[in-house]
Amino acid sequence: MKKLLLIAILFVGSLFAQVEGDMEVPYISYQIKMGKGFNAVQANCLMCHSFGYILNQGPQSREFWHKKIEKMITHFKAPITKKDEKIVTDYLFKHYGNGKIK
Amino acid sequence: MKRRDFLKTSIAASTAILGTTVLSAGETRQPIDSRKVSDMAFPEKRPLITYSDRPPLLEAPRSTFTRGITENDEFFVRWHLPDIPTYIDPDKYTIKINGLVEKDLEISLKELKTDFEQVEVTAVVQCGGSSRSAFTPIPGGIQWGSGAMGCAKWKGVRLRDLLHKAGLKKEAHWIGFNGLEKAAYYKTPNFVRELEIHELDDHVIVAYEMNGEDLPYLNGFPLRLVLPGYYSDSWVKMLSDITVTDKYKSLFFMDMAYRVPDNKCECETPQHHFKPTKPITYMNVKSVIGYPENGMKVYHNSEIVVRGVAFDNGTGIKSVFVSADAGKTWEKALLKQENGRYAYTEFRFHHKPTKYGKLTFMAKAVNMLGKEQPFAKEIGWNHGGYKYNGIDEVTVEVV
Repeated sequence: MKKLLLIAILFVGSLFAQVEGDMEVPYISYQIKMGKGFNAVQANCLMCHSFGYILNQGPQSREFWHKKIEKMITHFKAPITKKDEKIVTDYLFKHYGNGKIK
Repeated sequence: MKRRDFLKTSIAASTAILGTTVLSAGETRQPIDSRKVSDMAFPEKRPLITYSDRPPLLEAPRSTFTRGITENDEFFVRWHLPDIPTYIDPDKYTIKINGLVEKDLEISLKELKTDFEQVEVTAVVQCGGSSRSAFTPIPGGIQWGSGAMGCAKWKGVRLRDLLHKAGLKKEAHWIGFNGLEKAAYYKTPNFVRELEIHELDDHVIVAYEMNGEDLPYLNGFPLRLVLPGYYSDSWVKMLSDITVTDKYKSLFFMDMAYRVPDNKCECETPQHHFKPTKPITYMNVKSVIGYPENGMKVYHNSEIVVRGVAFDNGTGIKSVFVSADAGKTWEKALLKQENGRYAYTEFRFHHKPTKYGKLTFMAKAVNMLGKEQPFAKEIGWNHGGYKYNGIDEVTVEVV
């Protein structure tokens, strides 16, 4: 019953939401794998996008992840150091890789 | 079994499951359709399939394709940059027009609604990467199902009328559009779109209303560009600046993103990406089934009404065919077309299942030029995962 009530309140809340005053996009706490390199991922990637953006690319090759990071540096001007570039690539391939180098 | 044999068998087994994905050619199949809506709603939205909060990426569930108009709170959301203003004052909002014009303009929302002819167009807007999850190997980008699309009635003013008021100079050739979304870093390129003047006809509008309401915040409140027939990458949201130039500026989002191989099949192999490429621009003919949904149970001998929507880039839908025997035979569905050629055509098809067990429905649209949807497996792979328009399939169980 409590749960039902909560759902009802949420529903009413979203029904009457209007653009009056501030409109903020909610923050989602994504379940992301912990491990070596996570701190570098958090420091470099989260500036521009959520972990959802990473998780929803699907499992990818090492080359894919490396190219993504290169794109962030070259095209999106993310200030990622050479050292972090490797750490982040290793992390992404280990946890969100498809096992293939290329 | 020895360990080595076991390994061999398991490799063989996994190859069978993955098909040729471990080899060279790209493959295409039905897009992922198993994702559920989230239990959290975003502002002005019902809970939708949620990929990311920053930038917000929301997909509409299959059930939205039973209706010719998509509700505003079910409309998909796709932004590119992380910073969207948290407050917009409609009384102070203006749109600027400058560059190669006789006089620079700064038009308020109120002036837009009173000083220009108000026009309406019902049009489908679809992300170029909608259904991307159909492609293997998995192309980079969000692995959308088929719900990165919707159809709404847009109200606003003609872009041409705005440009006319500013007065285009002779050398004017390109029009750039920029909105209020911002990157985290100053040097990151803005999400600017550029279109050639000849691409902009009278149907292109700057819209402030969607289905009779203000645009939802996440769909570009208070103003967005509406380009009927085009994929959504150029439908700039929170439109704030229109700049007229004589030369094309090199822009990341134009040069590197939303492009397909410039060949007949718009396809390539994962090993050799084809060059040159071209912008995705116009939508190809496509239909999606809204009801029934995969995995549903239906009663033997009952009357089922298969429903869905079809569209293309505005030539118009001529027919939609539905198959209830996995593509062997096709019958014409009934069509409802009351919102013009850029809108969804609604289709419905009656079927009485006479056999128990699995039953697969397929839908195939044909446009006025005779272009029809291919089977998923006939679609060539491209590394951006753009423009999938395969025949949609839904499998139910007859009980």
